[in-house]
Amino acid sequence: MIYSVRHTTTFRYEPAVRESLMEVRLQPRSDGDQRCLSFTLDVDPAANIMQYRDFTGNTVHHFDIAGTHKLVKVTARSSVEVQFVSAPRAADSGDWADLDALVAGNDYWEMLLPSHFAQFNPPLQQLARELGCERRGNPLGLLMEVNEAIYKLFAYVPNSTKVDSPIEDALRSRQGVCQDFAHIMIALVRGLQIPCRYVSGYMFHREKIEGGEIENDRSLEGASHAWVEALVPRLGWVAFDPTNNLVGGDRHIRVAIGRDYADVPPTRGVYKGEAQSELSVAVTVSPADSVAPEPVMPSFVVRSRPVLVRTVVRSDQEQQQQQ
Amino acid sequence: MNPPEPLTLFRPPFRNYQFDAAYDEMFSAPGTPRAHYQALFQNLLELPPEELRKSQQAADLSFLHQGITFTVYGNDEGTERVFPNDLLPRIIPHQEWRKIENGLTQRIAALNLFLEDIYHHGRILADGIVPRELVYSCRHFRREMRGLTVPRGIYVSICGTDLVRLPDGSFAVLEDNLRVPSGVSYMLANRKVLKKVFPTLFRDYGVSPVDHYAQALLATLRALAPASSSARHEPKVVLLTPGVFNSAYFEHTFLAQQMGIELVEGRDLLVHDNVVYMRTTAGLRRVDVIYRRVDDDFLDPLCFRQDSSLGVPGLFNAYRAGNVVLANAIGTGVADDKALYAYVPAIIRYYLDEDPILANVQTYLLTDRSQRSYVLEHLDELVVKAVGESGGYGMLIGPHSTEVEREEFRRRIEAEPRNYIAQPTLSLSRAPCFLDGEVQARHVDLRPYILYGENVTLVPGGLTRVALRRGSLVVNSSQGGGSKDTWVLRA
Repeated sequence: MIYSVRHTTTFRYEPAVRESLMEVRLQPRSDGDQRCLSFTLDVDPAANIMQYRDFTGNTVHHFDIAGTHKLVKVTARSSVEVQFVSAPRAADSGDWADLDALVAGNDYWEMLLPSHFAQFNPPLQQLARELGCERRGNPLGLLMEVNEAIYKLFAYVPNSTKVDSPIEDALRSRQGVCQDFAHIMIALVRGLQIPCRYVSGYMFHREKIEGGEIENDRSLEGASHAWVEALVPRLGWVAFDPTNNLVGGDRHIRVAIGRDYADVPPTRGVYKGEAQSELSVAVTVSPADSVAPEPVMPSFVVRSRPVLVRTVVRSDQEQQQQQ
Repeated sequence: MNPPEPLTLFRPPFRNYQFDAAYDEMFSAPGTPRAHYQALFQNLLELPPEELRKSQQAADLSFLHQGITFTVYGNDEGTERVFPNDLLPRIIPHQEWRKIENGLTQRIAALNLFLEDIYHHGRILADGIVPRELVYSCRHFRREMRGLTVPRGIYVSICGTDLVRLPDGSFAVLEDNLRVPSGVSYMLANRKVLKKVFPTLFRDYGVSPVDHYAQALLATLRALAPASSSARHEPKVVLLTPGVFNSAYFEHTFLAQQMGIELVEGRDLLVHDNVVYMRTTAGLRRVDVIYRRVDDDFLDPLCFRQDSSLGVPGLFNAYRAGNVVLANAIGTGVADDKALYAYVPAIIRYYLDEDPILANVQTYLLTDRSQRSYVLEHLDELVVKAVGESGGYGMLIGPHSTEVEREEFRRRIEAEPRNYIAQPTLSLSRAPCFLDGEVQARHVDLRPYILYGENVTLVPGGLTRVALRRGSLVVNSSQGGGSKDTWVLRA
């Protein structure tokens, strides 16, 4: 399956700011079952775009705009081929002993230790007890159970949490967005001593089929998405999407992997000035052979409070939450 | 000079000089000075006490006038203090210095190889010499440094290592300071003052000079300049300071002035198209090497702490692209983590295939169950330190602690064992100090400064820190310590 993706991020500042620097992780990865066939990045106002690969192999583009400006618009267009992989079966996967041997013989520590958003703190431990999250059966089966349990226990409510909300917020209110669910799952899975990582990317939302055969995806169409990958013995990294209760599949397009969101925000920026800022994001994912839909309205808009700081002003609203 | 009568010890100003189990820097036995202290000893006996007191006053005044201060954190009564200086030099014979120099050269070489390894192939981790978890769980491990190549493969170009002398007279390494070690300006200031106060004694002693430190530092920084810079001009080196509120601000201004380079704050620099520029009255000026005295966390809000206004946005990307060099490199703190310290002898053997020249102090790792239970049972005898702290903050000195303090540390250790280590309470050597009009023995340590550019350079000397409070073992200036000049004798 080949998808076309367009991801537009617009920042507006009032009054104008200067010396903006921005890093973006928007180029889909070429590894596993997917290949990025083409990628272009446009920045308005024009800037020299540089790039590097970060420590997990994600491609990062960055640029700066020195002069004063009231708007920064970043448009990423990519074409990505995703291979269909049939749902993983427990019969093909290994058991706990295989998993422990795999972990002992390799370097998976980064994806086993707690990270910024995935802390195994008391509220999380409480949830683990509630879900009976302990080693039993085989790893794949248990991971699927955890995935489904999060799906059922937490309501998907856009704007119920913020980009920098700790998972305690979602744990307390039992609601959140995909970023929260991914972090909760990562913390639970690492608690089982299974390596688990955060995936930032996109999902192709299927047309709703009348008659209710296929349930609607919960995650928000028109936004970037997030899910997790857990290490399953004999199968390698397997994708789990607790927002939509999905395992594997070919509707997910992987852009960046990290320990959690903090490693892989789609955009991260700094500027100088005392401004009120507004961020809007629009994402379209369509099969390459179809006519690309018209640009949709921004899927979400975040407005920051006016911030008055003398020198560098960095607002968390510069980042986009993954929904 | 005739050997002194043993009983002269008890003559003023030595009337109250006391001995204990610690190694005494001046005396090999009560009343018998070591050969290299003989002249100083004689001098002290002959000088009228009034003369000494005047000298001390002159020295104090000189420090005050030079503005040699430091800042104490966590204290409400004014944060800036004059750094207390003790009048009497600490003397190190040439032979002992040679061993220190060789030991520290070996150590900095091995630690640099270690840093290069863990940020590239991780051989030492794969071979199981150092546990991976220890490295990855270290607060100062910077994933962003993976695969990044630094000039000459040198991560630590400026190092200040704390040595202590044990009761048997041997030196041991207490701590490596591989991030932004400070205190070298006090070493230089102490020397300047003592040369004035004891001109004859200084000349007669044959003391190795330290005054060229700033030039050696500048040469080290220039040696690291990116290849691209030499084609354009002489490399532009600047010193990046967090600003006037930093405890070592005096030192930053002092070193920048001595080296003849600009002292800049984050806001004076900017990054455009991956190149670092300094804002000057004549427009932007490209910067090649930054001697940064700002911690990793605060260097670049785009990459590290986003709330930092001390750093330069985009600096890390310019660094990654090889357009600017930072000294020290980012991520060196993983190698001076106090838990990793326990592995340094193994690190030396692994990379250099040599035995360590300078010993380590025995260290208990609290992540290890049996070591932890031993430590928790012996908290009243041991010293417990937080692994990521420095400056004597966050530590428990068992024999001088209260039950409440021990309980507090027990709780902290049990909650976060990776955050603490324990060591035996060391009996640091004692050196003569001029206090209250007489000579008294106080515990001291020694921090030599090591530079690593084209090659490894040690200025012969260092900062001898003194625990000025009687009986105290803590030499940190932030904890009531002072310093004294260190005289390394020529061959």
